[in-house]
Amino acid sequence: MSRRALVFAIALVAGFDDAAAAALEVTVVDQDGRPVPDAVVLLRAPAAAPPTAPVPGIIDQIDKRFVPAVSAVPVGTSMSFPNRDDIKHHVYSFSPPKVFELKLYHGVPAAPVVFDRPGLVTLGCNIHDGMVAYLYVVDAATFALTDARGSVRFADGTETASVEAWHHQMDGEPVRATVAPGHPEGSLTLVLPLLAAAVLPPPLE
Amino acid sequence: MSALPQSLAGRLLTLQGGLTLLLGIAVVGAIHVFAHANARAQAAKELATGTRVFEHVLASKGERLRQAAEVLAADFGFRGAVVSNDRATLQSALVNHGHRIGADVMMMTDLKGRVSVTTAQTPLTEQAFPAPRLLARAQAAGAATGIVAHDGQVHEMVLVPVRAPNVIGWVAMGFHVDDALAQELSGLTGLEVSFLVRHTDGALTLAGSSGTTDAATPVDELREMIARGHAAGTEVIPVADGLATWRALDASAEAQTLIVLRRPLTEALRTAATLRWTLFALIGLSTVLSLVGGTLIARGVTDPLRRLGGAARAISRGEYATRVEVRSGDEVGALARAFEHMREAIAARESTIMDLAYRDTLTGLPNRALLQERFQQVLGEAHAAGTPVSLLLLDLDDFQLVNGTLGHQTGDLLLKGVARRLQGILPDRAALLARLGGDEFALMLPGVDVAGAGAVAEAARHALEIPLDVAGQTIDVAGSLGVVTFPVHGDDFQTLLSRADLCVGVAKRTRAGYAIYEPGYDQSPERLTLLGELRAAIEGGQLELYYQPKIALPGGQPVQVEALVRWHHPVRGFVPPDQFIPFAEQTGSIRAITRWVLATGCAQLARWRARGVYLNLCVNVSARDLVDDGFPALVAEMLAQAGVAPGGLWLEITESAIMDDPLQAEQTLKRLDELGVHLSIDDFGTGYSSLAYLKRLPVDELKIDKTFVLNMDRDQDDAAIVRSTIDLGHHMGLAVVAEGVDHAETLALLAQWGCDIAQGYYISRPLRADALEAWFAERTLSNSPPAALRRAHA
Repeated sequence: MSRRALVFAIALVAGFDDAAAAALEVTVVDQDGRPVPDAVVLLRAPAAAPPTAPVPGIIDQIDKRFVPAVSAVPVGTSMSFPNRDDIKHHVYSFSPPKVFELKLYHGVPAAPVVFDRPGLVTLGCNIHDGMVAYLYVVDAATFALTDARGSVRFADGTETASVEAWHHQMDGEPVRATVAPGHPEGSLTLVLPLLAAAVLPPPLE
Repeated sequence: MSALPQSLAGRLLTLQGGLTLLLGIAVVGAIHVFAHANARAQAAKELATGTRVFEHVLASKGERLRQAAEVLAADFGFRGAVVSNDRATLQSALVNHGHRIGADVMMMTDLKGRVSVTTAQTPLTEQAFPAPRLLARAQAAGAATGIVAHDGQVHEMVLVPVRAPNVIGWVAMGFHVDDALAQELSGLTGLEVSFLVRHTDGALTLAGSSGTTDAATPVDELREMIARGHAAGTEVIPVADGLATWRALDASAEAQTLIVLRRPLTEALRTAATLRWTLFALIGLSTVLSLVGGTLIARGVTDPLRRLGGAARAISRGEYATRVEVRSGDEVGALARAFEHMREAIAARESTIMDLAYRDTLTGLPNRALLQERFQQVLGEAHAAGTPVSLLLLDLDDFQLVNGTLGHQTGDLLLKGVARRLQGILPDRAALLARLGGDEFALMLPGVDVAGAGAVAEAARHALEIPLDVAGQTIDVAGSLGVVTFPVHGDDFQTLLSRADLCVGVAKRTRAGYAIYEPGYDQSPERLTLLGELRAAIEGGQLELYYQPKIALPGGQPVQVEALVRWHHPVRGFVPPDQFIPFAEQTGSIRAITRWVLATGCAQLARWRARGVYLNLCVNVSARDLVDDGFPALVAEMLAQAGVAPGGLWLEITESAIMDDPLQAEQTLKRLDELGVHLSIDDFGTGYSSLAYLKRLPVDELKIDKTFVLNMDRDQDDAAIVRSTIDLGHHMGLAVVAEGVDHAETLALLAQWGCDIAQGYYISRPLRADALEAWFAERTLSNSPPAALRRAHA
């Protein structure tokens, strides 16, 4: 409860506009006020509808890159990691929500990987250190990634009870903000403490 | 270098040996300096190179560690273990993978610097990473390597990320910085390596060192370097046994690590020292060799020079006989030959000079100078040996007569003949005959005593007895000899010679042939003084006239008085006439005495005449007076002054005084005779005047020498001489006087033989003027002749 109260206070500071529309725009900035793209923002409603049945997802490996590099899927999604390169890859994850590895392979692995626990999963290739992909496994029905300006817009945000944002460069818990029920359409800014870029893998050759 | 040897050899050797030694020392010194400078420069260069190598090695080592650590950290299994969150697994994985790359300590820290697992002794779990600055650097740069002092040890620590593939934490792998590392680096760089840690409190500790030195040494050295302000970096700092430089490593690390790199000089200097000792040995050897060689060469030069020096000293001592023996073809040999020529020339010249200086050219005999030299030499030896040496002096009698009458050439031949005769009587080889000049010869007789010398004198006289044939003429010669003997008659040449001279005079006077010295012959010191005082005596009235009466025979009437001079010396008292008259004659003072006697006597005569005392006055005249042209005038003046008639004055002239210069004497006597004074021949019988000559002289009286009269009463010969002289005088028409009448018998005989006048102690001793006056009065008044005459009359 105390943590919720804290995040709520931040949301209050951020303020809402009093538009009648239920749309909600969330902007994510880092501690220096710079917009943070590729952050995942998710909305939690008090009486949330059960999550839709997950749709299988794909993260390709093209030209020694994960494509897409950042993606978000609901809990329970099974992901396949087709290798489009003519070299082998060894996809792995040491992230707590899902530790796995797909030993050296060509083509599409036989079985997809089911991500059944929420959290950030950082994917790497054991033989290509420069390859990295971030997969947000979320347990909310509504979520999206911020665009290049660090913003994301939800068309129906009036039911939203709280907003959460993560970023793979962040160390620690997601940042949350609570939105009052029935609140008219407005905007919200969340500040994410990001770590230095050094923690990222070395750039590709 | 007053200690410089005086000898040529010594100087040569000093120069040669000294130069060799100096050169050697200079070479050693130069090499020492050069070797030190070289070793230092070399060491500095090696230090610089070593330092660069060291830095490179350290950096590449760190890089290698980093790479190894990165590879390790990327190991899939390791990463799996890291994320497993199983501390035991993680710990074992750390140990396992640490071993793979040989890390000594490993740690795992999360992104915030919290240590999760460590292999360090001290548990650090959940504690801060001990090197946050290193971590910050790693976070900024992706990895970092640095020196970390931790847990009581120093490590080179590599921080590498654990990627999944994002950095999810850091693995720190540490390697001990210790002696082993220092030694490894030392082996690569050739330097002594020491790692030191400066802690935050400023304390310095030694982490590792390649050297075997005490731990304190690098610490102290570094402390001193810092204290002296030597900057870290490239500065080369001289230390105890070499060069050093120091570095501060990794300022970003928590504890500062300092490195001291040393390049010892000992090895380079040991090589230099070996070289130095080798050189010292070589110098010693070459000095010894040069000294030996120099000695041989110097000896080749100086030995002949020394022999030449010896020969030169021999020549300076007058030894010309020794040949100079140096056989050598070099310059020294040439010098020796020149020296030998010089020696021969000097010897020849010396012999000529000796002949000129020491030989009498007429007779070829040694001269006075040589006699003196030899005599002094012999005296020295005799003095030491206590043996006697005699000296005979021979003076030919009447040689002037020969020279005057027969010519100098004959005189010279005569001298040569005499020399030959005398040569024949030399008793041994040690004896020496010399001609002193004129007609004077001397014989030196070493080892001959007084008696022996007398015998030689006899022999000399004997040798001359046979007349000499000179240029077809036969000439009679005779000599008078004086004999003196060392040490009884004197102990130096001059004294002996002058005393021998005196003896010759005595011998001549006494006609004894030779005279051996007696102490009465001279009192030389007194004599000189007396002569000086004599003038004062004449002027100062110390002289007094005594008068000895003469009586006529046979009646005994007093007829004459002989004036005899007496000297009352204020200090010495009475001085006998024979002590000063002969020397007054020699010096010419006698003329003043004669003048005084004449004046005083004539005045007395005048006084007596005035009182009726009628006596004639007899005055002795010396040889000097006779040769004085003014003497007759002086006599006339004195007579005139006193107012006495010349007939009252008798002048007594000795036979020898006349014979000194017979012609002059004859002239003077004639002029005196013309004056009217009477003349008497004194001491008749002792001279050699010929009667024919005497006959020509205007004399009135003969006075028989008292030596004949004194003993005539006992000696038949003397008696005969006296008696015949009386007869002779009478035959020549001369009155005859006998003096020395001391006995009654003598007087009686004289009266009996017809002697005209007698004088002597028996009649009266010499009296003062007043005493004589009294005596005269008594004699004339009583008219009593002496008892002897009375008896004779009877």
